[in-house]
Amino acid sequence: MPEEWDFKRIQSILPQRYPFLFIDKVLHADAIKKKATCLKNVTINDYFFEGHFPENPVMPGALILEAMAQAGIVLYAVIKPEIAAKHPDYYLGKVEVKFLNPVRAGDQLIIEAQGVKIFDNAGIINAKAKVGEKIAAEAQIVFGVKARHG
Amino acid sequence: MKNDLETIKKEIRGLVSELAEIPVKDLRDTARFAEDLGIDSMKALEIVAAVEKKYRVIVPEEEIPTIRSLQQMFVLIEKLLNK
Repeated sequence: MPEEWDFKRIQSILPQRYPFLFIDKVLHADAIKKKATCLKNVTINDYFFEGHFPENPVMPGALILEAMAQAGIVLYAVIKPEIAAKHPDYYLGKVEVKFLNPVRAGDQLIIEAQGVKIFDNAGIINAKAKVGEKIAAEAQIVFGVKARHG
Repeated sequence: MKNDLETIKKEIRGLVSELAEIPVKDLRDTARFAEDLGIDSMKALEIVAAVEKKYRVIVPEEEIPTIRSLQQMFVLIEKLLNK
């Protein structure tokens, strides 16, 4: 049964930390359906709004993409829990992304990651970042997974 | 059937060439993906996903380590298509 993850569980899987952790909560993560749905509350206090942009605070597309990649790690972790438990390094390989609508302070960003193909050492996901029913961005992400050395 | 197989081989060579960014003329059927062509695990996965989509087959994960060249990929796809 898919269950919500709190920040502690998220931080037990994702290696990213402030100011580069863009998942506040995992709403569902289902290994059978190969789907993870994550949430990021976008607030005016987010540090990136200080510079992007002072007069027009919109979340940088690159960070929306990073949030989608992090949702991909969550998905990988439920499909390959034994490997994820060993805290491997995750690498972005190739990304095709479309940015469709701006994400602004006050928005609740819902990030869906759907597995296309997940192997031990690499994966492909389709991801969508939505605010309400509006799609902010969609991407296909290819990533690699390598055991950490040293 | 022979023609079909030759067509499939040509198509797969084209897919690998495009995804691995290697000209078709440099893709020997016996060249090893990792050692000779520098295809890493992520590119290999892309190739597998593209082949699955094109031929509507599922390549089992346990078969992946056995696909180390185009030649071995042709054999596997032929086997999967004949299932």
